[in-house]
Amino acid sequence: MLFQSQFYVLVFLPAVASLYYAVAGSTRARQWVLIGASLVFYGWWDVRFVVLPVSQIVATWLLALAHERSGRRAPLIAGVVLNLLSLGTFKYLNFILASVQTVSGITLPRADIILPIGISFFTFQLISYLVDRMRGRAPIYPFRPFALFVLLYPHLIAGPIVRHNELVPQFSLDPRREGVWQRIGIGLVIFTVGFAKKVLLADQLGTIVDPLFADARLHALNLGEAWSAVLAFSFQLFLDFSAYTEMAIGSALIFGLLLPENFRRPYLATDIRDFWRRWHISLSNFLRDYLYIPLGGSRRGPWRYVLATVVTMGLCGLWHGAGWTFVIWGLWHGLGLATCHAWQRLGRPLPKLAGWVITMLFVLAGWVVFRAASFTVAGSILMSLVGEGGLGGALQEIKLLVAAALASALIPSAHEIVNGLKDPHPALAAAGAALAVYCLLEVGQGAPVNFIYFQF
Amino acid sequence: MLWQPAKSGLSKTADWRGFVLMFLGVLIGGVGAIYLFVLLVDPYDVVPFSLPIDRRIVSISDRFMYPQIVRSKRFDSLVIGTSTSRLLDPQLLDRLFHSRFANLAMSSATAWEQQAMLDLFLRTVGPPKVLIVGLDSVWCDQQADRHRITFRGFPDWLYDDNPWNDYLYLFNYGTVEIAARLVGYHLGLYRERVRYDGYEVFVPPESQYDPVRAHDNIWQGVAPPPTELPPPASPAERRRLSFPALSWLDAGLARLPSTSLKILAFMPVHVAAQPAPGTPAADVEAECKARIVSIGRRHGAKVIDWRIASPLTRNDANYWDGLHYRVPIATRIAEELAAAALAGRESEDGSYVLLLR
Repeated sequence: MLFQSQFYVLVFLPAVASLYYAVAGSTRARQWVLIGASLVFYGWWDVRFVVLPVSQIVATWLLALAHERSGRRAPLIAGVVLNLLSLGTFKYLNFILASVQTVSGITLPRADIILPIGISFFTFQLISYLVDRMRGRAPIYPFRPFALFVLLYPHLIAGPIVRHNELVPQFSLDPRREGVWQRIGIGLVIFTVGFAKKVLLADQLGTIVDPLFADARLHALNLGEAWSAVLAFSFQLFLDFSAYTEMAIGSALIFGLLLPENFRRPYLATDIRDFWRRWHISLSNFLRDYLYIPLGGSRRGPWRYVLATVVTMGLCGLWHGAGWTFVIWGLWHGLGLATCHAWQRLGRPLPKLAGWVITMLFVLAGWVVFRAASFTVAGSILMSLVGEGGLGGALQEIKLLVAAALASALIPSAHEIVNGLKDPHPALAAAGAALAVYCLLEVGQGAPVNFIYFQF
Repeated sequence: MLWQPAKSGLSKTADWRGFVLMFLGVLIGGVGAIYLFVLLVDPYDVVPFSLPIDRRIVSISDRFMYPQIVRSKRFDSLVIGTSTSRLLDPQLLDRLFHSRFANLAMSSATAWEQQAMLDLFLRTVGPPKVLIVGLDSVWCDQQADRHRITFRGFPDWLYDDNPWNDYLYLFNYGTVEIAARLVGYHLGLYRERVRYDGYEVFVPPESQYDPVRAHDNIWQGVAPPPTELPPPASPAERRRLSFPALSWLDAGLARLPSTSLKILAFMPVHVAAQPAPGTPAADVEAECKARIVSIGRRHGAKVIDWRIASPLTRNDANYWDGLHYRVPIATRIAEELAAAALAGRESEDGSYVLLLR
């Protein structure tokens, strides 16, 4: 089910919220309501998909329980391996087979596997719990809240990646506690912001991006086409993914639950480290705590720092997709972070504007590799950006690009709205609802468009 | 990390409660009012309790608007096809065939969309008195089963027998806009866009015809005939060709009784838009035509071919572009169609061939 579908907005969310508040007095009942709703939400794509997250949750919980009772680490290690094997099989098996085939020249069979939606997200959450158990930082939770921590549908498909200790304690809070109207009101506003960004901007930008990236497979783009493609994709990716996050945070807030922040206007970043503090924050935090720091972080000398950063970001790229273009995109950012770190240690900061321009050019170049179907196409588009494909053409859909740029720069992040919306003015409520009606009419025109990050 | 609102006074709580109620009120009120408007005006004529107003075709979205023409049951005969058949005037066909015709040919309709229209007619009205299938290259598309719909989308919910699923598709801009146009029509602010029998002159008025521009439109992008031709396809190669849409045509005709007059007519596109003689594309088309004749023979259909090089299709002055002939030509084709199908008359100037009487 998609957040921006008419069915979700007009039927599913109101029905689940009504049921949830009808049984709000019982912790057990409201948790079951959310578990049931989450299974329906996930199974909406394909009911067979439900088996995978449920199996991983049950296995992870039982292994954590075995660890609790035996005191041995083996069940936890087995749990991490099991989750990685699941992810590896469903997401990376064919990629590994293709890579081995390329290197060895031996023709290998391919597995006929459908990638279950959201597998990267819920697998990471389960692994983070197991690793926290190893570190003595995670208690044994009863099965129901543990399952709900992973399954909770607002974050299940594409995050934000939530840690157990951020979410499980919230499940025991009565959603009718003081501030219930404020949470619901702000949840509605945040959801609507995401709804509008997705339907009115991100999906429209896709109509520029898709044909131009397809054309780039056939011929070199001219200067105008290349910049149109790259700028449109950069805005589309941010607006699409942050819209999903906002609809997730808004939905959860209606249930009285606060999900972590995921974006903080990343295209205002003035250096690449700043960018990663603003872009996909829940993933950055996860990688920092479970990969970068265990690899040595910045406390074991400069070379170890470079290694930890580049390896972490390379794996970050691989997490996004089973393809070498994603790995190279990750390594590109790893090198960028290491370079930025080294520059900052020199103590000669660039002017803000110069820093912003360099950062954005760096990020845009990365998005080309991220989006392109192959290195050949990526190389062709990068060359076109500097005029190799001809200096002709002009920016396409300038009004849309300007609107997207303004939305990216000016619309506050979800948590900025949570913390900053103090005045519940009725006019704002009416305007927000009118915008939601407008978006509902727009999305009714055709089948809702999937979110880009669903593929990861 | 747990977010708790700051301790607030009662007035603040009441403010937020009012905020939520206002939001939900406008949302529910807005959606409800717009949806009720669409249901009452009912531009696709699918809602049983809609207002009893005269529903005209106020949109050129033929895939959405034509099902109601079928469901009106005012017509006992139909034309299906693409834009190359749309200029056949049902009122003229009525006189020629003594029937009540609807022209349900749709712009760029795929073969699958055309068979869906025929299927709807057969389920709703029953066997037609006369069926004219305006044949085009879409029926000979070797990947017709993959090219079922176009970028325009196809509202299959308007073509099925389930009256309940229609309500899921009525809340959108397109429908609201058409409903508003229908209201505008009744207020005298908007005109009927397509006659209620499906006829619309979609080409510019004859007074605007410009032979030079038409010539450019016809020949722009047309490759010169190849100088070296490959050997013609062997009979075995021809047999291997697959035309998925022809099984739909076969199945559709099989549902018509012998009392229905079935006419399969290849429409006259300009020679520039026809495959050059001797090319592989011409071989494919020849094989497709042969199979259509075979299907027509099985079902007692008349098969008439205007899609040939002829005085009609060689003359640029008959066309707006490579695909679309002018309105007077449409009149001529309708008359020749009736003469050929009803009296077996051959063409006087070789503009068509009666492939099956």
